[in-house]
Amino acid sequence: MFQQFDLAHGVKLYVRPTEQFKTINISFKWKQSLAVKDASIRSVLANILQYSNEVYPSNSEFRKRLDDLYGAVLYVDTTKKGDKHIFSLNAETVNDAYLSNEKIVDEVFSLLHTVIFKPQLVNGKFVESIVKREKEQVIERIQSMYDDKTRYAQQRLLENIRPNHPASISANGTVAAVQAITNEELVDMHHKLLHENELAIYIVGDVDVQEMKEKMQNHFNFADRVDRVTKDEAVEHMVTANNSLHEIQDMKQGKLHIAYNTPITFYSEEFPIMQITNGILGGFSHSKLFMNVREKESMAYYVSSSFSSLYGLVFVLAGIDANLQEKAVKLIDEQVKAMQAGEVSDLEISQTKSMLKNQLKEALDSARAQIEIYDQYKELNEAFTVEDWVEKWTNVTKDQIQQMALKMEKEFVYFLSGKEGEGNE
Amino acid sequence: MNKTYFKQLEETLYHEQLPNGLNVYILPKKGFSKTFVTFTTNYGAIDREFIPLGKDEPVIVPDGIAHFLEHKMFEKEDGDVFSKFSENGASANAFTSSTRTAYLFSSTDKVLDNTKVLLDFVQQPYFTKETVDKEKGIIGQEITMYDDLPDWRLYFGAIENMYKEHPVKIDIAGTVESIEVITAEHLYECYHTFYHPSNMVLFVVGAVEPEEMMAFIKADQAAKKFEEPKKIKRFYPEEQHAVAVPSKTLQMDVQKPKVIFGIKSNNTHLSGLDMLNYEISMQVAIELVFGRTSAFYQNVYEQGLIDESYSADFSMEQEYGFSMIGSDSANPEKLVEAIQEAIVLNGSDWTYTDADIKRITRKKIGFFLRALNSIEYIANQFTRYSFNDMNLFDVVPTLEKLTMEQVKEAFESIKNVETHTSFTIIPFEKKNDE
Repeated sequence: MFQQFDLAHGVKLYVRPTEQFKTINISFKWKQSLAVKDASIRSVLANILQYSNEVYPSNSEFRKRLDDLYGAVLYVDTTKKGDKHIFSLNAETVNDAYLSNEKIVDEVFSLLHTVIFKPQLVNGKFVESIVKREKEQVIERIQSMYDDKTRYAQQRLLENIRPNHPASISANGTVAAVQAITNEELVDMHHKLLHENELAIYIVGDVDVQEMKEKMQNHFNFADRVDRVTKDEAVEHMVTANNSLHEIQDMKQGKLHIAYNTPITFYSEEFPIMQITNGILGGFSHSKLFMNVREKESMAYYVSSSFSSLYGLVFVLAGIDANLQEKAVKLIDEQVKAMQAGEVSDLEISQTKSMLKNQLKEALDSARAQIEIYDQYKELNEAFTVEDWVEKWTNVTKDQIQQMALKMEKEFVYFLSGKEGEGNE
Repeated sequence: MNKTYFKQLEETLYHEQLPNGLNVYILPKKGFSKTFVTFTTNYGAIDREFIPLGKDEPVIVPDGIAHFLEHKMFEKEDGDVFSKFSENGASANAFTSSTRTAYLFSSTDKVLDNTKVLLDFVQQPYFTKETVDKEKGIIGQEITMYDDLPDWRLYFGAIENMYKEHPVKIDIAGTVESIEVITAEHLYECYHTFYHPSNMVLFVVGAVEPEEMMAFIKADQAAKKFEEPKKIKRFYPEEQHAVAVPSKTLQMDVQKPKVIFGIKSNNTHLSGLDMLNYEISMQVAIELVFGRTSAFYQNVYEQGLIDESYSADFSMEQEYGFSMIGSDSANPEKLVEAIQEAIVLNGSDWTYTDADIKRITRKKIGFFLRALNSIEYIANQFTRYSFNDMNLFDVVPTLEKLTMEQVKEAFESIKNVETHTSFTIIPFEKKNDE
């Protein structure tokens, strides 16, 4: 999918030339191990670098510059993938070809350079008032999860089944860890980006590959780095003693979140089979959960399952009447048991294969998705193509699906509801 | 088939109005794998009072019915439409807004087959007492889910503050009580009135061969029988200029207060180029005064009155329109005061230059070019524009011609304090301090 070049030791450039888009997307991804303290520091650093720099010390000057460049998008954020934490700098700019006599792309490259290499430092430190405020912003972002009941319930489930584990560590860190961050730690972390962290740079758009490579070399001078991040591996976890928890908040709906443990991960040979198994259970609107829990029983507006492949977990989520928890859990159990008993029709299998194929092919119509999919799948095979992956689904059989379903072990039921559901244990 | 080439954008749009009145648009996109098709009726939550097809007297239907109808279109005598789309590897969906109901699918394969499924299921209604009653549980859960979303409550709370009579204030899905009384007969009445092809737009965008697709659609429509198109009579109540409620507070289980400052627009009986000009002038005015490069933004950000959730924008349809400025805020009262002060200050001392207008214009042109990478954006927005007699591809030329006078005049229209309102959500703990 992408052509690749080594810009320095541990710094790789991936370019995908395509006429599909009217803009050019650029993404820098610095990876390191996921841990609460570093995740917190990197999230605050992302905000600081996005706020101002040596060339544009005020945020409004910086934003005016972006507006002038035809509203070039430039943002810094942090995410996680498996046991890795990713600090990204992303930009999207209009391709010069659509503007008469303007050279925007070079300007955007130079702005990206400024953001990474020229932070606003006073005596080797970030401006204290900016640090203070951006710490506050990250804390508020972490706290805002509480207002989104689905996200909150999912986080509570993860904290219960995988405490102190990458599955439950947030890419933004924690409130306490953010509060404790010092200016020196932020400066050190910035140094790590420039000198230590493994870096992958992606470019997608109607571009000339050689020209992009030269622009990268001219604008940026990346240091070699030795800190190669190792491949993801399944992290061990403690088995939880409890297997259910019901929490109460002032709300109307009941949020049911169930976790199933599986020995299958993204790196397993059987990963493509698990994708189909999950699809039949609850990935689509023809799936067992949608057809039986929603359409037949009218119990839910949303009910679905997802396979979190880097952690080997399947989640079932449903929004239900707060008094119907028991009935819903029973119905969901029945769907899983049916699959374990091999009750899967040829139609369900062919529908799921078609939908998975469509989903993956469709994703290629977004430049961002091209970057994200390749960034993930290149870990398995640098020559990854969508066609090859689709091939892996083609011959999956009913028997294999049944075997996968049998490997799903129900681990925990989390329920968040209003007071109406209180007697519902 | 009409063919229009937009040179600057390198896009070609094909259009034809069929004998039954249906408007069909096709926009091929080079390099795309998928095709996205939307079939949209000019009918939404605000259309609650109208003269049903073939009758003489206006009726008022239960709140939430357009959305209910959307749900029920997917169930047929021979089963669920989703299942058919899945067989063809298409992901299908639908949505209802205050003014539109859209049915859509995207697929990378079997595009003509999927187009046929879409046309057939939207043009062959099937409602029974059993299927209608069964849906009440599902939609009841959907309503309950929205009731727990603070940002949705905030948005609709601000609209309810602004409008005294106009049905834009009705929640799109209705309430658990209002949907309880909906019957199959209601659904047929609304269906026959609003789903005539002459009230609909079919938009095809992505990997598509225009001649083949147009011929396919024409043959399909020619084989189906429809009544003669008639003008639909809809009634909207007269709405006062002033807001209904100047301020209101709701308590929810949230971490931090949230506030929206709403400004009701009274310049809403517009369509076509007048509407496009007004909409763009208002958006640029809001961006100048409340956008991220404004003195106002810098000030409230530094004071800690807003956070990353901040937004400021203007939106309108033919019957209503409003600006909304909002954020999660530790001090919503102070934020509201700062917004009011900014309106007064800019009203008496307008300091922006042509260079500022040019900067915002460039930003908006860049946004538009980015948006054209998204075939979902193109299909949804094009349809919205066409229902308002506007053309999506006029946006860039209109922006390029925009003058300071237009922007200033647009800003003048938001000064009247009678059109201002604020809606605030506060956490429960604060109950006793207030």
